Amino acid sequence: MVLAGERRLAVPGPLGEIIPGGGLQRGSVVRVEGPAGSGATSLVLILLAAATVAGEWAALVDGDGVLGGLAAAEAGVALDRLAVVRAVPASLYGRVVATLLDGVTVVGATIPRGFRPADARRLEARARERAAVLVAAGSWPGEAALRLRAEHSSWSGLGRGEGLLGRRVLRVAVSGRGAAGRERVAELVTGSCAAA
Amino acid sequence: MLCLWCPDWPVVAARRADPSLEGVPVVVLDRGFVLAASVEARAEGVRRGLRRREAEVRCPGLVIRPVDSAGEARAFEALSRAVEVLAPRLALDRPGLLFVPTRGPSRYFGGDEALATRLMAGVAAVLVGGDRPGDDEVAEGAGEPDVRIGVADGVFAARLAARRATPGAAFVVPAGESPAFLAPWPVRVFDDDDLASLLVRLGLSTLGDFAGLPEASVLGRFGLAGLGAHRRARGEDEHPPALRVPPPDLELHHEFDPPVSRVDTAVFAGRALADRLLAELAADGLICTRVRVEAETEHGERLARSWRLSAGGSARGGGSAGRLQGGGGVGSSPGSAILADRVRGQLEAWVSRDEGPARAEAGRSADDDLVTSGLTLLRLVPEEVVVAGRSQLGLWGGDRAAAERAGRALVRLQSLLGPEAVTTPVLQGGRTPDEQVAWVPWGDDPPALSDHCRPPVPPGYSDSGGDLSATNVQTSAGWPGAIPPPAPAVVFQPARPAELLDAAGQPVVVSGRGEASAEPERLNSLALPRGGGPVEAWAGPWLQDLRWWDPAARRRRALWQVVAAGIACLVSVEGGEAHLEAVYD
Repeated sequence: MVLAGERRLAVPGPLGEIIPGGGLQRGSVVRVEGPAGSGATSLVLILLAAATVAGEWAALVDGDGVLGGLAAAEAGVALDRLAVVRAVPASLYGRVVATLLDGVTVVGATIPRGFRPADARRLEARARERAAVLVAAGSWPGEAALRLRAEHSSWSGLGRGEGLLGRRVLRVAVSGRGAAGRERVAELVTGSCAAA
Repeated sequence: MLCLWCPDWPVVAARRADPSLEGVPVVVLDRGFVLAASVEARAEGVRRGLRRREAEVRCPGLVIRPVDSAGEARAFEALSRAVEVLAPRLALDRPGLLFVPTRGPSRYFGGDEALATRLMAGVAAVLVGGDRPGDDEVAEGAGEPDVRIGVADGVFAARLAARRATPGAAFVVPAGESPAFLAPWPVRVFDDDDLASLLVRLGLSTLGDFAGLPEASVLGRFGLAGLGAHRRARGEDEHPPALRVPPPDLELHHEFDPPVSRVDTAVFAGRALADRLLAELAADGLICTRVRVEAETEHGERLARSWRLSAGGSARGGGSAGRLQGGGGVGSSPGSAILADRVRGQLEAWVSRDEGPARAEAGRSADDDLVTSGLTLLRLVPEEVVVAGRSQLGLWGGDRAAAERAGRALVRLQSLLGPEAVTTPVLQGGRTPDEQVAWVPWGDDPPALSDHCRPPVPPGYSDSGGDLSATNVQTSAGWPGAIPPPAPAVVFQPARPAELLDAAGQPVVVSGRGEASAEPERLNSLALPRGGGPVEAWAGPWLQDLRWWDPAARRRRALWQVVAAGIACLVSVEGGEAHLEAVYD
């Protein structure tokens, strides 16, 4: 017997306070959206951290090979339990994600355009079967138990010709299925130099 | 690496203790089965593993000796000391087999052959004439002892070279030719019968055939053990040279109060210590491949010997198989049984030395008596550890089963996409976000942390990163000129082309003194949504002088932090051209 609460992975930091239930439901799909530069990648990293904080493993399918490893460490990911898969041919994409779901608890993937709904359903089933979490960024053609949309990031600390990037306020819209269906917008304050 | 091997060590040791056995067929029995046989006995058809009666039938006049592990250990200790005089950094493998790194000694003595000749002479003196310096034993025709020396690049190749060598002449494989030397050997020489028979059934009958396979396929088909064998077949060491330096707090010691002079008491403590050491290493996900056994006595004598701990397979194939299995406790792992056996042998060699009265009265010089009083301290120091499993990925605090599951999935992916496609980030020193992370193929050992290649810190510069190892993130903070956090989540490799324009639409350039030609007003790049936008805030330029010590590779560039159209970016300007380095996504 596993209680529903135990099948959740607690999300660390302020994002955990925003997400319904405080964590990721194992065996589900989480969709992360947002235009480039709005903070969507940072959201994915925080969700990956939820796995490594719990002592589990995380993986990221990084098609373009653009992940900043340092940012992952700052987001709280234990790098020694993070695997990053690069250079995945489009024809193998579904297979690679499915293999990762077999062994890794939280799998982040930037879904390429043109990914077929049938493949998406297959991955959903695989995640449910393995009690893993698929964090799908990009154009996910299937259902999702939780949706995070990075709307906008505003930065402080940087002036015209002076200062440094410091605090960031990331506006996130969170919506889910069922009781959590109503969309909530919350502001997430990150950046180590909160004083700046 | 030089390998010194004495076949049938139990017989060698028995003859050393009792010179009358010289020249007659001898076997050493372990619980009714032949453990080792002399050359004479082998000529009559006596083999290892025969029953006592069968051996006697095949060879009338056979002299039978029981196993004397203490005597073997003592003889091996004497041999080790003879080798140590010439090459101090030896590592013992099991009685009768030891390895010496050749780099220093060979250069000193003028080549591998010269070193081998000297070792041979030194060892022969110990084994034949060493016990009775006065007697004219050598003239009796005892012949030179069966000592074989092989020199090759790696441990595995050196071991095979020693097998190829004839007594009295070393077999030297020139540097770099180990793969060619290994190629014709049959795959049986792996001490892994399952793997060998599988390879033969697949039509891969020699090491060369096996070594020719691509690494990713070997990993996918044969798993981690197969990959280790593949490395050995290619003439590399099973574990890549980047062995982890063990943390200092892993060494264990036991103090004897009152001091002990009885072997069994010391051995009892040694076995407990060995179990604890391996358990603590295993809790950290480490396997010990070399351990140093140290002891101190009441009179302040200090003794130390390094032992290699090869994987379980080779020990099983080794000469003292039966005893090894019997020696371990019922519940303990094979690794701890081997380690406990080595510790016991070493303690016997040291402590039981002053027991025999004959030994004491014989004119043995004082330096032969290593231990003149009781032991006060026994210490086990892991000298080399490798990460268990096949990766540096931490098992700290994590679920062991989860790690294994993840490992299987990642290995499957590596065989699908190639080893390079599955990586793990390792933080290292650097200034820019792309320099600060090394992407290590999953399962490889991380590169040695490149702290030592930090540029020299000018005097007076307050280097805040004093404790570099304290946390991951601080590793990067130690570099002067590094970009402070937060780190960008998207780092382009290589950087994407961009334009940083001033109000007049001209590219912003940076002078050699770090002054910008104008304030940036617009950032354009195809990597940004809608192609970029107006600059809202910026800081910079910060000049970076990269590799200033190397005229050919020297680069100067200027970095800017820019917020353009609400997106925070890191932009570099070099030689009048701007690049988008990273986005704070």
